[in-house]
Amino acid sequence: MSEKEPKIISFLCNWCSYGAADLAGVSRMEYPSNIRVIRIPCTGRMSPKFVLAAFRQGADAVWVSG
Amino acid sequence: MKNLLEHMGIEPGRLHFSWISSAESTKFVEVAKQVTEATLALTSKEKKYMKTKPKVA
Amino acid sequence: MTSYTDKIREISKRLLKEGKVDMVIGFAKGSVPMMHQPMFAGNAGDVDRFAWDGNCGINLANYVTDRKEKIGIVAKGCDARNLAVHIVENKISRDQLYIIGVPCTGMIDRHKITARVPGEIEALVEDEAGKTVTVSGAGFSETFDRADVLQENCALCMHRNPVIYDELIADEVPEQSEKEVDRYAAVRKVEEMSPDEKWAYFEDLLSDCIRCYACRNACPLCYCPTCFVDESKPQWVGKSVDPTDIRIFHFLRAYHCAGRCTDCGACVRSCPMGINVRALTKKLEKDCLENFGWEAGLTTDQRPPLDTFKPDDPEQFIK
Repeated sequence: MSEKEPKIISFLCNWCSYGAADLAGVSRMEYPSNIRVIRIPCTGRMSPKFVLAAFRQGADAVWVSG
Repeated sequence: MKNLLEHMGIEPGRLHFSWISSAESTKFVEVAKQVTEATLALTSKEKKYMKTKPKVA
Repeated sequence: MTSYTDKIREISKRLLKEGKVDMVIGFAKGSVPMMHQPMFAGNAGDVDRFAWDGNCGINLANYVTDRKEKIGIVAKGCDARNLAVHIVENKISRDQLYIIGVPCTGMIDRHKITARVPGEIEALVEDEAGKTVTVSGAGFSETFDRADVLQENCALCMHRNPVIYDELIADEVPEQSEKEVDRYAAVRKVEEMSPDEKWAYFEDLLSDCIRCYACRNACPLCYCPTCFVDESKPQWVGKSVDPTDIRIFHFLRAYHCAGRCTDCGACVRSCPMGINVRALTKKLEKDCLENFGWEAGLTTDQRPPLDTFKPDDPEQFIK
């Protein structure tokens, strides 16, 4: 992968968006490969710390989805 | 959160929130594309929050 | 001001003698000028050290967290609001407190004064009418208009009278209205900048930070048993004075105070480098007011906006 490809850290809720991502996968839909998925038990587990930690370690963007 | 990050000077396209149900795979793909595009538009710029090597050791 | 001091002493003495409280928390003169310190009086003999003037800027609500005793506490407007926040967050119960309310006309900004005089300040005297402040030291003596040397948060304060109290020591002072002062002028100025300008603004603002955590320790809201900066598994933020880490520390500290901060100014006052930490918390205060119609510490029977959900919460930022 070239240097220019951005890294997007996505925090997905186990029950909602993670399910959607899974469904997108089994349905063989195409979506950008820049997304790195972190599964969280619920969006309520999300903390501002996670976002800052992701940026600090070099994420280009953060996407939180519930 | 988004408000304060932007207040401190991070670009609006760097943090995204969305609501997607487990049945909405199409919406997932759509939002994934949007997020990537928004980020691509910014990649030329430096990553501001990234921890870099200390300038003075 | 001496009448305030006398009244505080009188009430404290009475409370302690009657056994209504186990101790009274108030202010006493510090070892250097402009730095009054908190004082805990456990018996009626101690109360004569209590003092009150324009240097009582620290927030006494900081000292009641998780206390078990019955406490009498001297509280100006912001302290009382922070006590209300403590009560809502179950850090102390209302029954434990006997709040001695002090209507307040603002505290003197030690950073401002120090910057305006040529040498080290040895004494500071306020006139009885509360109009002027005279500071003196080796070879100089200068008088300032009190309004000019107020802490910025005090000059913009909308709640000078305590919101909850058991006893007031003087008549309420007139409140400032929205028309007289523009609370969010500084915030709006930053809001208008472009992302790069904002970044540079905060880079400059925080460049002096030495990570002493005085702002955290002075803050009545910062009572977590382990602060996130001290956690090492996982380590959220580096411990050095790296600009990125400084920024993360200030960002997260401010964010932890969202919807709870009463803009008491203790953080700014305690900062040895004179950083205006309020630039961050004020923005969050503004957002809370605009999005949720919320001001912290005005009532003890409502939960703060960040731990409640309402179907009509604004959520334009969610796709």
